[in-house]
Amino acid sequence: MLQFAEFILKRAGLAVVTLVIVSFIVFSLMEMVPGNCAERYLAFKNTQGEQITVQDIKAEEARLGLDRPFVVRWGSWLANVFFRGDFGDSCILRVNINQLLGQKMWLSIGICFTALLLAYVIAIPIGIISASSRSPVLNNSLRLLSYLGLAMPNFLLALMIMLFSTVVFGDSLTGLFSKEYRDAPWSVDRIIDFLSRACLPIFILGWSATAFALQTVRALMSDENGKLYVTAARARGIRGGRLLWRYPARHALGPIVNSVGFDLNRVFNELPIVAIILTLTEAGALLLEALARSNDQQLAGAIIFMLTASIVALNFMSDVLLALLDPRVRSGVMGRAQA
Amino acid sequence: MSQTNDASDATSTDQQRKEAYFTASQTQLIWARFRRNRTAMFAGTVLILMIVIGLTAPFLSPYDPTIAGRDKDYQNGAPQIPMFCDHKGCSWRPFLHTLERTRSIKTNFRWVTKVNTDKRRYVQLFATGWEYRLLSFELDMPGKAFDIDIPGFKFTTHLFGIDKGGIHIFGTDAGGKDIFSRTLHAVWTSLAVGTIGVLISFVLALVIGGFSGYFGGTFDGVVQMITDAVRTVPAIPLFMALAAFVPDEWSAEMRFFFISIILGLIGWPTLARRVRTHLLSERNQEYVLAARLCGASPAHVIRHHLLPSFSSYIIVDLVISFPYMVLSETALSFIGLGLKDPVNSLGVMLQNVTKADVLLNYQWYFIPVLFFIALVLAFVFVGDGLRDAADPYSDNR
Repeated sequence: MLQFAEFILKRAGLAVVTLVIVSFIVFSLMEMVPGNCAERYLAFKNTQGEQITVQDIKAEEARLGLDRPFVVRWGSWLANVFFRGDFGDSCILRVNINQLLGQKMWLSIGICFTALLLAYVIAIPIGIISASSRSPVLNNSLRLLSYLGLAMPNFLLALMIMLFSTVVFGDSLTGLFSKEYRDAPWSVDRIIDFLSRACLPIFILGWSATAFALQTVRALMSDENGKLYVTAARARGIRGGRLLWRYPARHALGPIVNSVGFDLNRVFNELPIVAIILTLTEAGALLLEALARSNDQQLAGAIIFMLTASIVALNFMSDVLLALLDPRVRSGVMGRAQA
Repeated sequence: MSQTNDASDATSTDQQRKEAYFTASQTQLIWARFRRNRTAMFAGTVLILMIVIGLTAPFLSPYDPTIAGRDKDYQNGAPQIPMFCDHKGCSWRPFLHTLERTRSIKTNFRWVTKVNTDKRRYVQLFATGWEYRLLSFELDMPGKAFDIDIPGFKFTTHLFGIDKGGIHIFGTDAGGKDIFSRTLHAVWTSLAVGTIGVLISFVLALVIGGFSGYFGGTFDGVVQMITDAVRTVPAIPLFMALAAFVPDEWSAEMRFFFISIILGLIGWPTLARRVRTHLLSERNQEYVLAARLCGASPAHVIRHHLLPSFSSYIIVDLVISFPYMVLSETALSFIGLGLKDPVNSLGVMLQNVTKADVLLNYQWYFIPVLFFIALVLAFVFVGDGLRDAADPYSDNR
C-alpha cells in the first residue's frame, strides 16, 4: 500500500512539474504580445481625451507590478493560479477572468468530456468486435471511416453537417440554446433544450477522437487476439464475449486508458473552431475572441492554461487508474515490495 | 532433358531472385514492398498528380486567382460544365452557352444574367490569358537587404479557355473570382506550408531528439519532461495564440512564412520523441557495439550505423505528419488568424461559407473541400503504405 501511495505521489509531482512548465510557456506567450496592461489601460484613458506621458505609463506599470523582472511576475502569477485559483484581470475587458470564464469554462470542459466519453462508448465495442470478426465488409468500412476521421477534421465535418441540415431541414442547428432559453435561468426545460442542442456539437467534437480510438482498439485487439494465451483460453472451452472480454480486451484497453489525455487534447484542439462554426458561446469561442478581436493575452493564457491543466489532470488520473486495473502495471508499482 | 533444363532454369531464376533480395538495398526493398500495396500505390499516384497540379497551377487555371482575375459579370455564379450536345445538335468541341446580362423595367432595373441557348462559345485549348511567372520568387522581408526577387519567366498560355466571356467550371465566389483557379492555387499553398512546416519541425526534432537520445541520462529526462509538457498543450489553441501576434499590416508572403514557421515550431515534439526512442533503442544494439569494438568513432557510428537504421522511419513520420500541418493551416486560416486573402488556401476559401446565404444558395463553395480530402487521404495512405513497407517484419504478419 505504501508503494502505491509513493507511486501516486510521484505521479502527482510529475503532473505539477508539467503544469509549471506549461505555465511558463503560456506566461512567456502572454509576455510576447506587443504592449502590456499598463499601456492598454492608458491607451483607453487616451481615447477619453486625457494627455498621457511616459511617466504615466511608468507609474501605471509600477502600480500593476509590471516593472518587476519576468521571473518574479511569472512566480506571482503562478502562485495566484495555484493557491488561490485566480487568473487576475483581463486588460481589455477589465473584468476578473474567473468571473468571465466561470460557467462557460465548465460547460465547455463538460461538453468535451462528454464527447470523449461518447467516442469511447462507440469505439471500444466496435473496435473489439471488428478486430475479432473476419468480415471484410465490416473491416473495410471501418478502415474507411477511421481514415475519414483523419482526413476530415471536425470543423469540415461540422460545415458538411451544416450544409446538409440547411439544405434538408432548412435549419443550421447552431447554438447551444434555442432562442427562448438563451438568457433564461436554469430550469428543467432549459436543460432538456440544452441537451437536445448539445448532441450535435458533442458528436462533432468526438468525431476524430472516435476514429482514432477505433483504429487503436482494432490494432491492439488484433495483436492480442493472435497471442498464445488467447488460444489457450479458447482451448479450455471459453468462447464468445466472455473470452474476448476476460482475456484480450483487458490487455488491449491498457494503452487506450493511457492515451485518454491525448484524446482529450485532440478534442480541445477542435473546440474553438467547431465552437465558431456552430456558434456555441462558450470558452472555445471566447478564446478566439480573446485572441483575434482584442489581443487579450491574460484571457487567452488563462484559457490555454485551464485546458492544459484538465489534460494533465486526466493523464494523472488515467495513470492511477491503469495501476489499479492492469495487473502488469500494478505489479510494476507494487513489485518492489517483494524484490 | 528439357525437364531438367526447366528445373535448372527455375532454380537459377529462383537463385537470382534470392540473390536480388539479399543484395537489395534498403530503398529497393522498401520500394518492392510498397509497390505491392495497391491502395498505397493508387494514393501515391494521386499525390504525385496533386503535386503536379500544384506546381503547374498557373498554367492549368484559366483565371488569375486574386481579385485581379475577377469576372465582374458572373458573381456567385454556378459552375459551368462544358457540354457536347444541346437542342441544336452535337459538336466535337465542348462548348458553353452565351450569357447575357440585361436590365430593364421587367427585372426591376437589377442586372439579371440569362443563358442564351442559341449561341455557343467553344472551349479552346492553350488559350492566351492572364500573365503568370514560373520559377519566380519574391519575398518582401522587413529591411531592404533581405528582399529576395527572382524574376523567372513570363507566360500567358493556359491549358484551356473560352472565346468571349468566362468559363468557371467550379463557379465563382462573391467577388467573381474563379473557384477552380483558386482551388488549384490553394493546393499549391497547402503543399508549400506543409513542406516548410514539416522541414522546420524535422530539423528541431532531429536536433532535440538526437541530443536527448544520444546523451541519455539526466539530460534526456529533463528534455523529455519539457517535450511532454509541450505535447500536452492543445496545439490549435496554441497556434491561435501565436498567430494572433501577426500584425495586420504584414504582407501576405510574410504571413505565409510566419504561419509555416509556427506550424513547424509546434509540430516537433512527436517527431523528437520518435527520434529519441529510435536512438535509445538502437544505441544498445549489437551491431553498434560491434562497430564500437572495431574502433569506430562516435561520429562514424552515428553517421554510418545509427542514421541509416532509422532514416526510413523518419521519412515515414514526415509523410504522416504532413497532413496535420495542412489541416492546422486550414483551421487557422478558416478562423481568420492564418493566411489572408490574396494568398489562396482552403481555409481562406472557406472563410465565408458559414453564412446562411452560402449554405442555402451557393453550395459550389464547398467543391474545394473534396480536393483537400483527397490530398490529405493521399498523404495518409502513402504514409501508411510507407510505414508498412519500411517495417522489415511486415511480410511475416
